[in-house]
Amino acid sequence: MKTRIHPVLIFITVVTFLFLLGPLVVIIGASLSDTSYLTFPPQGLTLHWYSNIFEISAFTRTMGTSFMLAIGGTTLSMLIGIPAAYALARYRVELPSFLGNIFVLPILIPEIVLGFSLMKSLASGFGVPIIAALLVGHALIVLPYTVRVVGASLNSFDFSIEEAAVSLGCPRYKAFFTVVLPNIRAGIIAGFILAFITSLNDVSISIFLTGPGVSTLPIQLLAHMEQFFDPTIASVSVLLMGVTVAVMAVVERTLGLTFLTK
Amino acid sequence: MSNRLRAWLIATPALLLVFIFLGLPVLSTFVTTFGDPKGPLSTYSAFFNSRFRMTVLWRTMEVALITTIISVAIGFVTAWVVARVPSRLKSLLIIAAVFPLLTGVVVRSFAWLVILGKNGILNNFLLSIGVISEPFSMLYTQGSVIVAMVYLFVPLMILTLVGVLEGIPKDLIDAAASLGATPTAAFRQVVFPMAVPGLIVGAVLVFTGSFTSYATPQLLGGERQMMMGTFLYQRAMVTFDWVGASTIATVMVVVTLATVLVMSKVARKLNPMAG
Amino acid sequence: MTQSLTLSNISAHYGSTQVLEDLSLDIAEGELVSLLGSSGCGKTTTLRLVAGFLEPTAGTIRLGDRDLTRLPAHARDIGLVFQTYALFPHLTVRDNVGFGLKQRGVSSAERTKRVNDMIERVGLGELTDRHPANLSGGQRQRVALARALVIEPPLLMFDEPLSNLDAKLRVEMRVEIRRLQQANGTTALYVTHDQEEAFSISDRVAIMKEGRIMQLDTPEVLYSQPANAFVANFVGFDNMIEMEVVQEAGDAVRVQMAGGHMIDLPKDQFTVPSKKFTLAARPEGLLVASPESKIGIPATLGMRTYLGRAYQYHCETASGTMLANGPLMTPFESGNGALLVPQPEQCCLLPNKA
Repeated sequence: MKTRIHPVLIFITVVTFLFLLGPLVVIIGASLSDTSYLTFPPQGLTLHWYSNIFEISAFTRTMGTSFMLAIGGTTLSMLIGIPAAYALARYRVELPSFLGNIFVLPILIPEIVLGFSLMKSLASGFGVPIIAALLVGHALIVLPYTVRVVGASLNSFDFSIEEAAVSLGCPRYKAFFTVVLPNIRAGIIAGFILAFITSLNDVSISIFLTGPGVSTLPIQLLAHMEQFFDPTIASVSVLLMGVTVAVMAVVERTLGLTFLTK
Repeated sequence: MSNRLRAWLIATPALLLVFIFLGLPVLSTFVTTFGDPKGPLSTYSAFFNSRFRMTVLWRTMEVALITTIISVAIGFVTAWVVARVPSRLKSLLIIAAVFPLLTGVVVRSFAWLVILGKNGILNNFLLSIGVISEPFSMLYTQGSVIVAMVYLFVPLMILTLVGVLEGIPKDLIDAAASLGATPTAAFRQVVFPMAVPGLIVGAVLVFTGSFTSYATPQLLGGERQMMMGTFLYQRAMVTFDWVGASTIATVMVVVTLATVLVMSKVARKLNPMAG
Repeated sequence: MTQSLTLSNISAHYGSTQVLEDLSLDIAEGELVSLLGSSGCGKTTTLRLVAGFLEPTAGTIRLGDRDLTRLPAHARDIGLVFQTYALFPHLTVRDNVGFGLKQRGVSSAERTKRVNDMIERVGLGELTDRHPANLSGGQRQRVALARALVIEPPLLMFDEPLSNLDAKLRVEMRVEIRRLQQANGTTALYVTHDQEEAFSISDRVAIMKEGRIMQLDTPEVLYSQPANAFVANFVGFDNMIEMEVVQEAGDAVRVQMAGGHMIDLPKDQFTVPSKKFTLAARPEGLLVASPESKIGIPATLGMRTYLGRAYQYHCETASGTMLANGPLMTPFESGNGALLVPQPEQCCLLPNKA
């Protein structure tokens, strides 16, 4: 039977989605304007502001830092997060139930507090190099994503398959690599990519851990915005939106985007 | 090797990361607040007696609360519709909600800078239709911060609630109808109560997220609309008052945890079984 | 209060696939009729049409003198027990049972009384304040039953209500359902895929296939006199043997089957319906006998299994593989020849379509 939806509700929904997507369209438009200030709709069209990104060394440098940091931090959190997720799913009986909550802590503790605390204790207190502190901070904030997303695909994994491999003479550690990992590949890819984008966009941790010579792209964007207001920022933003599109395509192909509603 | 030992060993690296690099530093921040030379609790009495600091705290709470209420309302209506449209349109709408969610905070706040600025679209539009004769800055007001924050959190709310609403078995709504409940009554007595726990989870995420945000108040609120996040940054990195900054950080953690605890209690009370 | 249900010429579609085709069904006041069939036969669709969750593309549904066809589900006043029970997880047993009365604006005092009475009647006295999550499967089933009964509907419907219970509880609950239905004299429509359940509980059973009713009758008639091969097969006539009348021979009819074998069927035991027909037999309807017996269908015995009350043999005949039972006293060895003797009370003869 058809479900009827009240027209007022439909109207609100349409307005909501215009509200969600409109500002992103504005950025795209502004990045193409041939004026030296940000405006929408664009007066004339130019791609100048895209080539301008690569003229500004602060952008190219921080872009490199951000990508390396996102890959490094995510890899680190994967390397320790996958085993943790495995332990939580496989040994549900043996491990105390609060253990799962520990990996949610990075969500519960405000990121900005974590950023400040890392700066105070690690960078300032123990003289840990800023880039290392950044790496640890990013690994920490993405850990909940890796544990949760990988955990979700482990929860639907039938561990008797692993036992079957062991019963057929495969050592345990080898069974993990040859039987478990290939079967949770989708969760690992999706978890990696979601963690990657989270790290790439992070402000609250990085804002405290940038210093002379080390900065990330979002922090550089913030700094740039306070001094200049030209369309270069818009074009950088559009590039970042491109990364988002790529990320969404990967998630859609692995777990499906509806995974995000769960 | 026993299974229990094996399990602990496998989980240890991650536990150590959280303990050493989150637990200890945050704990050290708490401890710092008691190290004020004027006495162990003096920094707190200074905080709660300072008009300026309390203004920042209340403003942050107010902005977070208003953001939460608006996001919940918009999010619920939208999620209700999204959960009900045909599946192809539904996937499209979910993509449209995920896209902004995965786009960075800086980019999304920046968009509102372009829209609300003195030479922004909104001003140009209002000028062109003659509602105003002179452009005025809408930035650095509480309103501009709230608009951008709602923009930040509505996608999260929509996705959370679509999941919640789709999780309610169709049979229950059919059962309500078969027992004589009109669609409105079924919504009020079955759908809404069952969605409340999810609604509260979403609301807590939005509240704590906006309470502790940094980039959006920084860009759209500036000095004039100082909030806890920007205040913490300013104390730590501009005036280098680490005891003061640690105090702000502690207050933020306490408010966040208190919100989570109280609201999960409320959720359990409102709906003892659906959670 | 109870009323008759009449479905006239109902058709229904899911998208472009037709799921019900010109279906008509009459259920008398106080009668319990089951719809029986495998999944996809249209039985649940029929129930959902009557409940108002689906709309028919053609036909009418009447309950007593009311036309339900275009009435919204909530205005139909039908008690429905779901396969999943569909108990409201956020409400206590009391509030679940009282839900329907609340919709009807029954006063709080009256509601409490009727709810308590009903909870007592289904034997859930101590569980009134529990939530569904804290009940066992059987208890949930009772709550679902109480919730549907308390509104005193003119029609009760059950959608595979016992399929989530274990075997012992299933038997117990179906007796309970029958008891409550008869006590109130309520008209009832019962959907199931379990033949034993349908036969034990119903006044009449409709066996369905591909959106049509193949036969509607009392369990006794369905069991002994299936109207067609589908129903025969459904109620356990596993063996189908095509036969053709060759000649009348006094008090017997001589018939021929595949392979040219002929046997005589005594007229007082078998009523041949047409020249060409099918003999449908349960395994116990084909008795395995030694080759020296006078009449029977020649067969080669295959695998033997022990059933407790008899041996069962897989037999090869010219008409195909048959399942036949043999006595415990004289087991036959596999590979030997034997004769299969039709037992009239466990066989039926079905006319072949022209």
